[in-house]
Amino acid sequence: MAYFAKHNFIPMFRLHLVACFSLFLLNSVDAQKLYGTVRDASGAPLPGASVVADGNNGQFTDAEGKYSLNLTAGSHRVVFSYIGYVARTQSITLTVDDEVLNIALAEDAVLIEDVVVVGYGVQRKKEVTGSIAQVDAKQITGVQTPSFEAALQGQAAGVQVSQSSGVAGAPSLIRVRGVASVSAAGDPLYVVDGIPITQEYFLRGNSGALNNNPLAAINPNDIQSVEILKDAAATGIYGSRGANGVILITTKRGQKGTSFEFSTRTGIGTPATRPNMMDTETYLALRQEAWENDGGTGYVWLPNMTSASDNAATRQEAYQRALLTNTDWVDETIGVGVKNAVNFGVRHGAERYNFYAGVSKDNNESYLRGNSYDRTSARVNFDWKPTQKTKLLLSTSLSRGENNRIDAAWSGGLGDAMANALPYYPVQYAEDQVDANGNVTNQAGEYFLWFDEWGGTKNPVAVRELKKWKTTEDRSISNAQLIYSPLQNLNLKVSGGFDYLHLKEDVFNPGALSINTDLGSASRYANYVLNWNYSATADYHLDLDDKQAVNFLLGTEFQRTDNYGYGLFYGQVEGPIFESDSLSQDADSVNTRINTPSQHSFLSYFGRFNYSLNDRYFFQATARIDGSSRFGRESRYGFFPSVSAGWVVSDEAWFQSETISFLKVRSSMGLTGNAALPDYARFGTYSAADNGTTYAGDSILYPLQPENPTLRWETSRTVDASVEVGLWSDRVTMELAGYHKYSTDVLMNVSTPASTGFTNFWDNVGTILNRGVELSIKSRNTVGEVKWTTDLNVARNYNELVNIGDYTPDAVSGGTNDSRVIVGRPVGSFYLVEHSHVDPESGLPVYIDLEGEETFDYNNDIRKYVGDGLPEFIGGFNNTVTYKNWDLSALATFSVGAKIFDSSAKRQLGVVTGWNMRTEKLDRWRQPGDEATYPRLTLDETTYSLPSGFPWWNTSLFIYDASYLRLRNLTIGYNIPLDAASTLQNCRISINATNLFTLTNFPGLDPEVVRDFENAQDRNMSPNVTYLTPPQERAFTLSVSTNF
Amino acid sequence: MNIKTSFLLATLALGMASCDGLLEFEPGDVILAEDAIQNADDLQRLLVSNYDVLANLYGGRVQIVNELRGPNFGAPDNSLDFTAVYNRETTFFTGINGGIYTDFYYAIYRSNVVIDNFNIVENLDESDRIRLEAEARFIRALCHWGAVKMYAKPFGYTPNNDHAGVPLRIAPNQDPLPRATVGEVYEQVLIDLAYAADNLPAENGPYATRLAAEAYLAQVHFLMSDFEEAANYAANVINSGVYTLDEDLDRYETDIINPETIFGIISQPNDFRSSWYRDNLRSDNTANPQLAFSNDFAFFMSLSGAADGRSAWYTPGSRALINRFNEKEYFNVPLAHLTLMHLIRAECLGELNQNLTTAIADLNAIRARAYGIGNNELMGDATAAEVVQAAREEYRKETACEGMWVEQLLRRGANGESITIRGASWDCPGMSLQFSNSETTVQGFELNEEGGCL
Repeated sequence: MAYFAKHNFIPMFRLHLVACFSLFLLNSVDAQKLYGTVRDASGAPLPGASVVADGNNGQFTDAEGKYSLNLTAGSHRVVFSYIGYVARTQSITLTVDDEVLNIALAEDAVLIEDVVVVGYGVQRKKEVTGSIAQVDAKQITGVQTPSFEAALQGQAAGVQVSQSSGVAGAPSLIRVRGVASVSAAGDPLYVVDGIPITQEYFLRGNSGALNNNPLAAINPNDIQSVEILKDAAATGIYGSRGANGVILITTKRGQKGTSFEFSTRTGIGTPATRPNMMDTETYLALRQEAWENDGGTGYVWLPNMTSASDNAATRQEAYQRALLTNTDWVDETIGVGVKNAVNFGVRHGAERYNFYAGVSKDNNESYLRGNSYDRTSARVNFDWKPTQKTKLLLSTSLSRGENNRIDAAWSGGLGDAMANALPYYPVQYAEDQVDANGNVTNQAGEYFLWFDEWGGTKNPVAVRELKKWKTTEDRSISNAQLIYSPLQNLNLKVSGGFDYLHLKEDVFNPGALSINTDLGSASRYANYVLNWNYSATADYHLDLDDKQAVNFLLGTEFQRTDNYGYGLFYGQVEGPIFESDSLSQDADSVNTRINTPSQHSFLSYFGRFNYSLNDRYFFQATARIDGSSRFGRESRYGFFPSVSAGWVVSDEAWFQSETISFLKVRSSMGLTGNAALPDYARFGTYSAADNGTTYAGDSILYPLQPENPTLRWETSRTVDASVEVGLWSDRVTMELAGYHKYSTDVLMNVSTPASTGFTNFWDNVGTILNRGVELSIKSRNTVGEVKWTTDLNVARNYNELVNIGDYTPDAVSGGTNDSRVIVGRPVGSFYLVEHSHVDPESGLPVYIDLEGEETFDYNNDIRKYVGDGLPEFIGGFNNTVTYKNWDLSALATFSVGAKIFDSSAKRQLGVVTGWNMRTEKLDRWRQPGDEATYPRLTLDETTYSLPSGFPWWNTSLFIYDASYLRLRNLTIGYNIPLDAASTLQNCRISINATNLFTLTNFPGLDPEVVRDFENAQDRNMSPNVTYLTPPQERAFTLSVSTNF
Repeated sequence: MNIKTSFLLATLALGMASCDGLLEFEPGDVILAEDAIQNADDLQRLLVSNYDVLANLYGGRVQIVNELRGPNFGAPDNSLDFTAVYNRETTFFTGINGGIYTDFYYAIYRSNVVIDNFNIVENLDESDRIRLEAEARFIRALCHWGAVKMYAKPFGYTPNNDHAGVPLRIAPNQDPLPRATVGEVYEQVLIDLAYAADNLPAENGPYATRLAAEAYLAQVHFLMSDFEEAANYAANVINSGVYTLDEDLDRYETDIINPETIFGIISQPNDFRSSWYRDNLRSDNTANPQLAFSNDFAFFMSLSGAADGRSAWYTPGSRALINRFNEKEYFNVPLAHLTLMHLIRAECLGELNQNLTTAIADLNAIRARAYGIGNNELMGDATAAEVVQAAREEYRKETACEGMWVEQLLRRGANGESITIRGASWDCPGMSLQFSNSETTVQGFELNEEGGCL
């Protein structure tokens, strides 16, 4: 961090000239002595600090921090510096006497509070003309989350963080100032220590209803700070990839002396909410009622026991036998997850080098039985300053994430417990099962298995216990930076980074879960993502005079990403091959599938120019030219400029206010882009079916996708303005910002008419508008013995899909989520038949057609916009009270105005099928005159006017208000008082609760939901859709931390 | 700034300025479109991929769906898609109708690419060019015709056949197209098949031949109720002497091409193309197969008693299980076959009340195989109406599971007969399958009316 200090040397160049001139005039004067002690802010001496007079006369302080320089009489310029501290420059004029000059250096940590990390550098907060939110390490580690990005929730205005589901290792969903993309990835760009990292959420698709989380490998304890760049002035330097915001992650580095950090925590997790499924008696009663409503007589037939064509006696016997079993499948699939973590770090700083090293072990069981995510990570950051002009910064991290998988949501587990696991199904047979011939078909103790409507073998307990499933992610993010400063204020930097990701998934399906074989099958899926980054920058600071200064940054960057992998499929194996490779040798068959390799690269040139006048007028211009391999030669390069300005009004001489201590206005405008589409979308391609596909023994050749040589950048034009105010000596600070982002050429993977011979086509089709306001307030309510601070941020974003050409809403859909592209509505609008009410006379559902008329006819032609998942307001409200050694912190997050589509409710609360039902269904129509939420029960989907064979009752009945206020985090901490001489320092014990309560009207499980997505398009278009998605967890954690 | 610094800066700046090549990546494991078609062999392989699509369509999928639209099959066991077709309530969310529609147009597009790329292939022999075009047009015709039969009202539904058909694609472009009229589609089908009949070789391995095109011309004209043309084309095929009626009732042969197959789908030991039949109809590998004959069809079959060898094709019961494909893991699937030609000629001649002797001979050839020589023959003095009736009965039996009966009912309905299919009028809206959902992604496409057949 020390090299950041150069930005504080504003008058340095001028002083240097003066000093040289003075030296020339006085060089004949006799030598004098300048001596003193260099200390840190606490008064401790700094041995090894550098003291240099006039650029050429220097020495290091001794073990007591003392120095002594022989100088001539006259004026001198002395620079005091030390790695990890803010360098200071002092001008001094010596007479004939010796002079004493004691200096205190501030730590970098202090500096960090005054500066923010921006793209390819840092800036003083005061000078920043863009919109940047800063989150420090304490805010990140203060909230117990399995992955660091989840801890950003509620911490920054305009940054919407929807936390992952209860599945261990699931990713969160982050949107910065809304979503400006449809099919291209709409996530912000993540940059770790200057390296844009791999952000692949779909390496294994949504296998098992889980997307992989590429951010899970980052240890939150390694993070020093996170900056979120929001507007074009801030993100413009990242040009092609800044349209959806940029999140800069800076990791810890060494500092003076030697210190050790240790922290550990342990806790438990339970579901924040629990599904209310029917028991056997209730389910059977309602099923019987449906049967009778449909005209059935006698007892209703029961899935996996009888069929409708069975005679009455058989059905009656089965019904009565079913009543003997009452399995609570929810209980069978959830429990209490145990969590524990240990972190250890060391920081060391010496004369020419410093380093930070940290190791971490984090075991995180979810409340879903059999499910855990364990992360082991290590990081070393090493800084070396071999000469005064050269600095080398090395960073490397290694991590392994091991996810002990289970099926979830639509794939099974708790999802089955909320769906096809009927309460009269036993977990295991209680006694031997005998067929008509007296043969034992199933022995007592064997798992009872059934098949769902897609033919999958079901029983969440049996699958969990018998299926072996593990995903291992190995990740290493490394970079090296060489900084050379040939001239004062000129820095040349060359940086190289390598980001390695290896995701391996092993699955073993035992024969016991199959009706066809006694042995099992095993699969291994391996994915590799290799990401190289190279950049070179030159920055130069020049003070034009004592009022004006300019800063130049020029740079170039190249990034290449390779993605490849394979799949291995073993037939007839006895056990999981990842536990014993020898098992694979006995496989009856082995098939290999090599994934099609994929590469892309970016080549960029960029520059930034800053001009400051009177230290209160600030101007900035950035420009970036990006080339992407994903576009053809005609449209390969995009130009992304931005301009911005800031004015610190309160620094004006005429500004006199006792109330307003700080007032700054700023504004920016610029272009940013997005190129996050598949690597080869522009190519028209054919397959020669080299995999051996033939017809009648003859080889074939066939088209795969149509070409689009005109594919080009998705571009966002953003205008941003804000006012920053400090009141009463900054007791209260606030920022009010507004923005208008207009995105054109939005990339869409449109469904094309099948009659064209293709079904999908990437094209620049859409236009999207995002505009909004953000308010942040920080208040030190009380100071003194009781300190009470409040942080509030709230943001409002308006999102509208302005244009999609000649396409219809069905041209782009969010997976299976009934979200579509509707002009005039937000991205991610729900497109369903509107439900009006249940007719009191007939008990049938009444729909609203496109003319607004009531109808009993359900028809896809009357689908319409019925809501969207984008909130009107989001925010966070954090209060911290400190009294003596105690502190209490409470973070509440809220979301207002979004809708949620409870997509699984259409089966749980719709036509009575082989799914269990939720207890809300009891509020159903039973007789004429009833006013009920749910219509008359039926086993026949056509009763509700649904098409035959289509029990998916897609109506707005299951669109709910998703507004909520959630106590995200509550922490009580105690800082153990220790003597200054104690070996241990900063000892702290805290108890933390997450998701303690949620206020919401949503009748389903969790109003804050991130389900598994099929692809980036689905991720953009289907926020707030839940489909058997496990709710978030409620966790209680005890933490202990100390330094020594 | 010293020289070294300047040099370093210049190196950094320029070192990457000429690196546009770093942005050149081409997809692996695939061929770029501009490189895909270089020679006649490439065109041939592209053409074979059309047959591959046909095999995916007609390896049982199209046949089963068409049987589900008609009266021959009973209610499916539990398949939601099959149930939607059976109840004639497909929507664009139903997968099976969307998939079939998409596959038809895969083949049409590829046929158009073949036809459109002759000029970029060097040294293409003229006879090869003509043959390639003829085969491409043959497949294009089969797919347009296959689609219009499933996704539109039948020929004759309106006097001028100007009711909505399916998009007519005769060039490989990406522009959205509205539905052409049924008349326009049939006109193009006839043009393509006529070209194919004129230019296809007499022998072409497992692929389309001149007689295959004529066999389809017979079928198309038959559905247009152009009985004279249909009878003539059927006669051409029959009289060619190339094909002979199989001695037994099993046209679904494994590893050999049945002698009466004029055109069909090929399955091989490592390439099963008949799996739809195996997986959904066979009654010997599961107690409760997905599909079975309807009671109506079982009753119809029972009328001729056990003497009819075709009675072995099913097992009576609460569900009339299908035995026709039992014990077959894979087999070739005849699409146009000599039995069909005999039956078409017989019915057409009956409709025309011409040359009834030939028609009766056609029918008796079929009956002789089913009942044994000399048994249950149609009398030589049978009237034209009796010939038509007998032809229809034999047609329904012989094409059981081939998906052809429903289109005959629709033809007759369009000709004014009172036809009811499982309690619904032949022209109820849902009888036409709904289009693929992707067809609705561009404004202006006219979907079929749904439902109304229950």
